[in-house]
Amino acid sequence: MLCVAGLLVASVIGGLLRAGVAVPLPGDSAWPGRAVLAHAFLMVCGFMGTMIAIERAVAVKEPLAFAAPAASALAGILLLAGLSFAAAWLAVLASMAFIAVNVTVVSRQRAAHTALLLIGAAAWLVGNLLHALGAQPAAVVPWWFSFLVLTIAAERLEMTRLMRRRRGAAAALYACLGLMLAGSAAFALSPVWGGWLYGLSLAGLAAWLVSFDIARRTVAIRGLSRYMAVCLLLGYGWLAVSGLAWIATAIGYAFRDAALHALGLGFVFSMMLAHAPVIVPALIGVKLRFGGFFYLPLIVLHASLSIRLFLGPNDFRLLSAGAAGNAAAIAAFVATLIGAAVAWRVQHSPSSRTRHAIPVRH
Amino acid sequence: MDTLDPSLAVASAFPYTGPDSLHEPVESALRRVIDPEVAMTIVDVGLVYGVAVSDDLVNVVMTMTSAACPVADLIVGDVEAELDRVLPPHMKIRVDLVWEPAWTADRMSERAKAFMGW
Repeated sequence: MLCVAGLLVASVIGGLLRAGVAVPLPGDSAWPGRAVLAHAFLMVCGFMGTMIAIERAVAVKEPLAFAAPAASALAGILLLAGLSFAAAWLAVLASMAFIAVNVTVVSRQRAAHTALLLIGAAAWLVGNLLHALGAQPAAVVPWWFSFLVLTIAAERLEMTRLMRRRRGAAAALYACLGLMLAGSAAFALSPVWGGWLYGLSLAGLAAWLVSFDIARRTVAIRGLSRYMAVCLLLGYGWLAVSGLAWIATAIGYAFRDAALHALGLGFVFSMMLAHAPVIVPALIGVKLRFGGFFYLPLIVLHASLSIRLFLGPNDFRLLSAGAAGNAAAIAAFVATLIGAAVAWRVQHSPSSRTRHAIPVRH
Repeated sequence: MDTLDPSLAVASAFPYTGPDSLHEPVESALRRVIDPEVAMTIVDVGLVYGVAVSDDLVNVVMTMTSAACPVADLIVGDVEAELDRVLPPHMKIRVDLVWEPAWTADRMSERAKAFMGW
């Protein structure tokens, strides 16, 4: 986990330097330069891919499943060490191992959402292969984002089963996701067509999630459920903004930063903020006490992202300030999780496992 | 009876076999285990397929909505902890997590369905 946190820090530093933020760093280190060049690889493969693969390995409870996150984390470290060729191919192996883990999930539960998780893993592999073979970032990054979006869509699809599904809802979702994969593939041939298809699919997916996700209902419940729903709904808003920005970029406007970061920070990080209070205890075995303080990093993230994406295109200083705010939001969220873990410990006396539970391998 | 047949499950509650005196405490305990995102009990979501109580064993058979859910162990831990609070000290607890039959929305309680707009 420390290794994953280190990759997140390196990736954020790379992003800050790209956005023109002066980050105090030791002058004789070569890794910050590598983090600047490979910000997307570090963030998607090194950090997010590793977290998602750990999450899946915990779910399947097979020791071998941890090979995927171990490989993707090591790929991030190799990249920072200057071994970019080895890092790229290790990431390919990581995504292949991750596909095997998802095949196990599908074999346990044949359902639409598990199939989508598998397709998401395949999108990660395609992106990693293109990256290892030297394709342009413009052709690689959409596949990496497709991996993240498919994974999130699959997890939300699972929850939408609690709602009454209108006729055609499933078909509409598959149409959006199919369009996204078509768009990902089209970028290699035509960035304009790719941008249009990708943007339309993201905007369509945002509309689908707002319409069918349980968040519109659970936002009415107080406490953790409302917090999660607020994160989700804000994320869906940024997903729609991202879709429009991908289309605007395809037309020729300079909205690439908005296209990438409305998606990566506005949507994906919002999803991480939403699910972390539930997932983190499962991943590291530390219980958290939820409180209103969880909203602070959420507010900082969305306020700074608004400054960056809406005001940044006209003023680079505001773009830099927004990016610094984005990093502060991530740091504040890590601090929030640590504070929530301490708060839970203070609230609860050292708890023992139950007196008479029989361990069962599930 | 050491294990339950999941196919015995019904729509909105769960089959129970065992002494009547433990039925209410066991059901109340399971109704204190919450799915955190939806703030509904695992009984209302329909995750509990059945409970069998013998002289020295409580056997819970339950499922999750997704095989890719990493939170399963936490929820099973909560089930064990809540049952632990209401059972006599000599009794053991066994929680079996199964994937067949698969969970469907039909298993949700009427209360849960009403909240979700069914």
